[in-house]
Amino acid sequence: MGWYDKTKHAVRFWLLRKLPPCKETVMTISQSFERRLSPRERVLLKLHLWVCMWCQWYMEHLQIMRNTLHETGTDIPELDSPSTPGLTSEARERIKQQLVADKK
Amino acid sequence: MSEAKREEPKKSPDAGLWLDQHGDYLFKYATFRLRDSAAAEDAVQETFLAALKAYENFQGRGSERTWLVGILKHKITDHFRRMARETPIGEPEDEGPEHAEFFTRTDGWDNHWNTDYAPTEWHATPAQLVERGDFWRVFNDCLTPLPQRTAAAFTLREVDGLGSDEICEMLGISVNNLWVMLHRARLHLRNCLHLNWFGKQH
Repeated sequence: MGWYDKTKHAVRFWLLRKLPPCKETVMTISQSFERRLSPRERVLLKLHLWVCMWCQWYMEHLQIMRNTLHETGTDIPELDSPSTPGLTSEARERIKQQLVADKK
Repeated sequence: MSEAKREEPKKSPDAGLWLDQHGDYLFKYATFRLRDSAAAEDAVQETFLAALKAYENFQGRGSERTWLVGILKHKITDHFRRMARETPIGEPEDEGPEHAEFFTRTDGWDNHWNTDYAPTEWHATPAQLVERGDFWRVFNDCLTPLPQRTAAAFTLREVDGLGSDEICEMLGISVNNLWVMLHRARLHLRNCLHLNWFGKQH
């Protein structure tokens, strides 16, 4: 490692010690989806993400989960497949009776 | 196919046909959201009854399925409101597992990611999983261990895209409760999806 990489490494380690730890940072990441962070929180989060690949991935994964759930929404072809159980025949019959009774 | 349907809108809907075509789908969707099959059956029944009454307003605009799911979503939120009134929020553990083990270390880096649980790159994308027709099953399984209210808060936020105020009012919780619930749900779900899918080489 050259002096530049060594220095960068040392700075990153020093920062990780000084900054709020991962446990607090993941909470802040979740909050960033819910409200506008304060300038101080934003700077601390940015710095933490700069030195911590794990939290970078964490944030990316939350974003992926959010996008996928939002995009698939309520149109889920999977639910039409018979692999998961649907209404039981009793329930189906009961609902049918109710619907007929309601029509009358 | 759908055009032919639109040309001749039926005067009165065939409820039996609805039940055959959409009953299972609505039931599975309701079970996913409510995590209670008896409540899901009730919600499906209420949906069909409401749909019969409101059929004139529908008049073949858009797909029947989408329209029915829209009604079902209202029944689901009604259920959440009832549930919130009947069982007020209690202990902090009601909010979901804290997963303290994710951040327990003995090497002087306590409160940082334990390497056994730390996020790593995802090898599969959710789009691939959706295509395979597995995403909802995996997601549903991961949602199961969460407390009902936490699962409800998460899906209202991330599936329905509702705002904090609306969710808090619906579930009878404070905004701080909500943020803790969402955080715990995300921590748990990300880890579960990672273990069961994205972290694996396929």
